[in-house]
Amino acid sequence: MIPNTVKRYFQKEFNGWVIVSILGAVVILLPILFILSSLLHEPNENWYQIRNYLLSNYVANTIKLVVFSGVFSAILGVSLAWIIAAYDFPLKRFFRWGLVLPLAIPPYIAAYTYRTMLGYTGFVQTTLKNEFNIHIDPELISVSSLRGAIFIFTIFLFPYVFIITRAFLENQSTSYIENARLLGQKPFAVFTKIVLPLSRPAIVGGTVLVIYEVLSDYGVTSYFGVHTITTAIFQTWFGMYDVNTAMRLASWLMVIVVGLFFLERLLRQRRRYNVNNKSRPLTPIKLRGLPSILAFVYCGLIFSLGFLIPIIQLIFWAKLTFFNVWDNSFFLLIYQTLYVALIPTVIIIIFSVIVANICRSQSTFSYILSKWVTAGYSIPGAIIAIGVLAMFISLDKWLAPFYSMVGLGDAPLILSLSLIMLIVGYAIRFMATGYNAIEVGFEKIGTKYAEASRLLGYGITKTFLKVDLPLIKGAILSGAILTFVEICKELPLVLLLRPFNFETLATKAFQFAKDEQIYEASIPSLFIISISVVSIIVFQFVGKKVK
Amino acid sequence: MNIIEVKKLNFSFSRKDNLLIKDLTFSIKKGEIVGVLGQSGSGKSTLLRLISGLEVPSSGEIIIAGNTVVNENVFVQPENRGVGMVFQDYALFPNMTVKDNILFGLSKMNKKDRVLRLNEMLELVKMEEFAKRYPHELSGGQQQRVALARALAPKPNLLLMDEPFSNLDTDLRSSIREELKLILNKANITCIIVTHDRHDVDAICTHSIQMGKVLMEIK
Repeated sequence: MIPNTVKRYFQKEFNGWVIVSILGAVVILLPILFILSSLLHEPNENWYQIRNYLLSNYVANTIKLVVFSGVFSAILGVSLAWIIAAYDFPLKRFFRWGLVLPLAIPPYIAAYTYRTMLGYTGFVQTTLKNEFNIHIDPELISVSSLRGAIFIFTIFLFPYVFIITRAFLENQSTSYIENARLLGQKPFAVFTKIVLPLSRPAIVGGTVLVIYEVLSDYGVTSYFGVHTITTAIFQTWFGMYDVNTAMRLASWLMVIVVGLFFLERLLRQRRRYNVNNKSRPLTPIKLRGLPSILAFVYCGLIFSLGFLIPIIQLIFWAKLTFFNVWDNSFFLLIYQTLYVALIPTVIIIIFSVIVANICRSQSTFSYILSKWVTAGYSIPGAIIAIGVLAMFISLDKWLAPFYSMVGLGDAPLILSLSLIMLIVGYAIRFMATGYNAIEVGFEKIGTKYAEASRLLGYGITKTFLKVDLPLIKGAILSGAILTFVEICKELPLVLLLRPFNFETLATKAFQFAKDEQIYEASIPSLFIISISVVSIIVFQFVGKKVK
Repeated sequence: MNIIEVKKLNFSFSRKDNLLIKDLTFSIKKGEIVGVLGQSGSGKSTLLRLISGLEVPSSGEIIIAGNTVVNENVFVQPENRGVGMVFQDYALFPNMTVKDNILFGLSKMNKKDRVLRLNEMLELVKMEEFAKRYPHELSGGQQQRVALARALAPKPNLLLMDEPFSNLDTDLRSSIREELKLILNKANITCIIVTHDRHDVDAICTHSIQMGKVLMEIK
């Protein structure tokens, strides 16, 4: 009986959409398999060198960065979310979305802005010296260290915790918090006894996003000279051209990511509190006097550190170098950035729509498939890059007879020197951003319209085009914008996978900064930040439910 | 002639669950209007989803207008079963007018026949004046009539109605029952109506099925 049931399910569910989804899922999995396959090969001398002398330092630094950035971001994010959700004070409505803006500044841009600002010739020290005749120990305020990297990650990534926790507190915790107040609990007790335990899933969710970003980072750590597993992957590839050792390092990083995945499950402990969309929003308490000033100062300080100060500094530098940088080659840079982001965005959106559409059936198969295609987001860019690189080098080897047949020479590297590699890398890494937005769109319309259409004689494809597509076009647009922006900001993947001499705004800004042309770096940086602000506006005002 | 034959139909949501529908067998003749009664969770709506092809049975056979649509070896997709359905919340496409909703299922007809059939349906459900309205501009009763017109327009062999009165005010129910009975008789359609209210069955149906019990004739 069971085989027949399976057969009928197969007849019902199996179609072109499923085939495309499975093929795409295989392409997404391949780079990871390549990484893991490196463990089967005999390691070379480089690996022993790294393992014996350097690896423990890389792992220790990576763990320190993850733990401290995670904890500090959580503290900052949760405290700000609570103040914004529960209290009223001057400019609270502005801070409500203003505190999301630090996300618009990629940490590597923040890193060189802060290092220069706080450096010996920077604004802070020169002002203190010239205006107030105060000389401070440069080491005291230097950010070029592990400590500085933690500061940058905390100030510019805490909004992940802030956004998720604030949304939870504002909409889903009202009755618990009001009950606690009615039972005579003081504000601090409400916060520690009710808010913190209740928000645990939201806090863990946001902190995990921060940690993924930290693990993925190359810009901040390499600029500050902090050695992590990710920077080591870059060094083994660019310094030694040793893909196998880079892959072994990547598999070590994978171990940390997988460990983190299980830690997240453990910390959440199935604690998904009753989510009721119709629940009343929390009514904020109006603060007066000192508490009101303190709340304002706290929010204002973080907003200034995370957005206002770096932006003013970047605009000031941009004014100094505008005419040096703003020329034809800069337009080429913008053009290259836009089209190399646009192609993977289109691929991601089309593939996300296909997978999300078949995943509406809520079967085990669709659950696994949706988790699988979105796994790229939790895998650091450097791992994906090395996996994709290894995959394309193998593909080129495999295609070598074909290349020589069509007169391209013996064993040339065609695909692994082309843009295709970068595009595939982007598509794998950012599939989740597009997919999640589109999944929310499908969830919102449900399956009833599609079912009605099927019963009126339309197949799955025509139903999608005629019924679903017009209803989810808003979600598709949000997903496309968010994906596009993420790709424009991305750094480690493009550094590893771009063809020779191919520059984008992100690589150029980073290159300028590395070459100590900080002022020149400000213009591409401001461009990237402007594009990101657009996505935040979309996120906040248009696609409020798109996460 | 039997329009639908259901033989030894079994269904459960997963292998671990108990059977929701167990060994259900019945048949319906052309033109009959059959009510499916039962408590919530008894599998009434699931029965409609199995007949329409939106769910797959664990075992059993369904034959519609002489064609086997599901058995051990066959599964005919919902769009090829010739079944119309009025959903519990009507599922009118919110981005289309009344006219476009009704025209939706008529894509295989030529333009002249489509317009003819559209007007016929609008007249049948007395919605001629509302052709250009969007679903959200209609009352619950009007939405139901449009959903009915949309389901009837492609001339299905069998019409399925899932709790057609559950979204309506109690005051409206009796007048709409009468209206629905008139429309169904006029359209001369074979129909299965799922409801939890025996009064609906008494007012409209020729037969009824009590889910979980043997087929019972009430008139």
